[in-house]
Amino acid sequence: MDPPIYYSKAEFIETDTGNKVSRRATIAGPQNIILGGKTIISSGAIIRGDLRRTGPGHAVVISLGRYCLVGEGCVMRPPYKTYRGNFNYYPMKIGDHVHIGASSVVEAATIGNHVEIGKNCVIGKFTIIKDCAKIADNTIIPPNTVVPALSLFAGSPGRFIEDLPESTQEIVEAHTKQYYTRFQPLGR
Amino acid sequence: MTPTLLYHCPCLSNSPVPPPPHLASSSYSFHPLHTLFFCEECDAVRCNRCVSVEVSTYYCPNCLFEVPSASVRAEKNRCARNCFMCPNCRNTLSVVPSDPPDSSDGRVAIPISTVGEPPFFLYCNHCRWDSAEVGITFEKPTGLAAQLQKFEDSAPESLEFDRLKEHFEPFLRASSLSSSTSNAPAAVPSSAAHSHHLHSNSITAAASAALARDIPGVSKYNPLSRSTSTRGGIGNKDRSTNKDEMSVYKSRVDISTASRLGSGGGDADVEYMRHLETIGEVASLEQRWTNSWATPLQTGDLKPLRIPLHSKRSKRCPACTHILIKPEQKAQSVRYKIKLVAANYLPAITVALPHAQQIQSEAAKRTLGKSTITVTDDDRGTAAGGMHAGKTYPFHLALTNPLYDPIQVRLSVQRMHVATTSSAEGGAPEKARRPPFAVSLPTSSFPIAAFAEAWEYEDDEDMFGVDDDDELGLGRAGREKDGRGRVKTVGVLEKRANVTVVGGEVVIGKEARGGVKFNMLVSYTYRSDDPAPSEGNEGSPSKAAAKPPEIKTFAFYTVVDLGAIIPKEEPRSDMDF
Repeated sequence: MDPPIYYSKAEFIETDTGNKVSRRATIAGPQNIILGGKTIISSGAIIRGDLRRTGPGHAVVISLGRYCLVGEGCVMRPPYKTYRGNFNYYPMKIGDHVHIGASSVVEAATIGNHVEIGKNCVIGKFTIIKDCAKIADNTIIPPNTVVPALSLFAGSPGRFIEDLPESTQEIVEAHTKQYYTRFQPLGR
Repeated sequence: MTPTLLYHCPCLSNSPVPPPPHLASSSYSFHPLHTLFFCEECDAVRCNRCVSVEVSTYYCPNCLFEVPSASVRAEKNRCARNCFMCPNCRNTLSVVPSDPPDSSDGRVAIPISTVGEPPFFLYCNHCRWDSAEVGITFEKPTGLAAQLQKFEDSAPESLEFDRLKEHFEPFLRASSLSSSTSNAPAAVPSSAAHSHHLHSNSITAAASAALARDIPGVSKYNPLSRSTSTRGGIGNKDRSTNKDEMSVYKSRVDISTASRLGSGGGDADVEYMRHLETIGEVASLEQRWTNSWATPLQTGDLKPLRIPLHSKRSKRCPACTHILIKPEQKAQSVRYKIKLVAANYLPAITVALPHAQQIQSEAAKRTLGKSTITVTDDDRGTAAGGMHAGKTYPFHLALTNPLYDPIQVRLSVQRMHVATTSSAEGGAPEKARRPPFAVSLPTSSFPIAAFAEAWEYEDDEDMFGVDDDDELGLGRAGREKDGRGRVKTVGVLEKRANVTVVGGEVVIGKEARGGVKFNMLVSYTYRSDDPAPSEGNEGSPSKAAAKPPEIKTFAFYTVVDLGAIIPKEEPRSDMDF
């Protein structure tokens, strides 16, 4: 029922697996970034795949699952810390059906499946977000926070607000799939 | 504002007919479909307000440790490992080591690392509070709760609490015994005589029934002989005898002398307040009330709090006590062993106003390339979704069938609101001044095809094709049927997969104000030859009785809110009810 969301065909690159990546997004270190398929990277997003773990060999810095959305102007940056005197970046793993709203900054360590993150959020370093959680718009999640499954977090600092309904998984899945089908090219 | 549709759960009243939607209180009876449950046994919708809830697992929301229920009580419902909450901002605290001896004041710069110099302390990443401020440091970075245990146990309030517990122990034991024997719903209103007030309406009755509901592990609050005269009319004779046997409780510390012992109150506080320099020195109510009952007045005295546990709950039907929701044992699993949600039984209905959508999609095309951050949803919604008084608007209802069998659906507008679907008058009776609007819906029943997993895959690839020219194409399809003369808006507009889109029409009166909101009865018939597999994909096969194929009907109420009417003369003013 919902109307399509149009984008200009010239702006987006569509991959074989259905990922749609804006040419206006800043993708640093693309060889270290994995997109699961049917994932949309909106314009103005910044994904820092270049901030990799020191050491030899190939390293996955940021991996996103299927049907994800990185909103406009989002910053995705792997978390870092100094452990036993060594400064290092750590990989960021994001599951399937994860939507991240516009202008949010994400430095989480792990984000589960079916997670919704609102607009203008800050997700602190090494945050762990479990499956089917939801972060409301304008929420600040401080570093090292754990967001349990099926919970809604909001505020600054982000706090537990309520439990989400049992059918959250189905709703989010339907919503992310629908969003992908609504996201359509226009012209040229 | 986008049009919404909510489903009715009749648990708040005795009649199956929902309250008129223009009453503010009616919102308590309506819920989004995905929050509702469905009891197969009773064949009824259940909501979060009426289901009975049992805790199935306790876990710490921070370390995600599953706490066995035996230790929950001993640990006072809080995490007994390393999880603490900042007393200032409620953020979770992390354990940080002290700095190496050479630098003394750079501790703020050090984030999480559990190896380092003792003493360790708790540090808040958000507000920079640290536990050294209140003199709490640790020798080793593990088992912090155990290290703090001695302080906690010797605190006057916990000693008091233990004493209280001890005091009421025999009473609790006795009452849990008697409640287990007298739990049968005693219909005899012997207790009504004691009742200090009679419940005049069903809502208070329902509310008090909910309050009087048994909570596992907590014995019923009913120490006095007055009882709540409703369903749970509990035998209270044994209660009153118990009450008489209780000795008078004497507190450890006399409250009049408590302030002298440093727990605040009285002149000491007044003196403190007099010398305040900033408001931040006084702990706010929020900072204080999650503490135990003796809360320090000064922000500087606040202690870190062990994080309260969360729980996973299973839910039961209030009438037949069959389980509707049973989560998996594992705390962070989002799967359910039993999950009888209404979305698997009732058709999902979404409403849309085609005129608003058209404007919206055109706006979307116009703003293409521009950032959507600047265009807020509210802006678009109010600009597009408004309906002017004195005009006629079509609306679409998309019904999705979740069943594996085709269903026949019939829609009707609730009568008390609009006398007949065709007449233009007959609004809410007490508001004769404004018969605000009349709604026409297709009067005949229409089919919705069965749900098949295959649609799911088809949706992935092809739905866009349909969706793309949905708005225009849909309207056109309807229009072309009748030629250009009369636009066809009422009736079945489109069928695809397990979705049927029907059109309705709302005629808004010239003087209308407020919102277009009406109750709609949805009844559907389905074939139930083999109830369990056909009715739901996750249904429990408990109801395996071999029945001959029969046609069953189920009806439920919904409330449709199409949005606000823009009154004449004052365009775009806010709605007033």
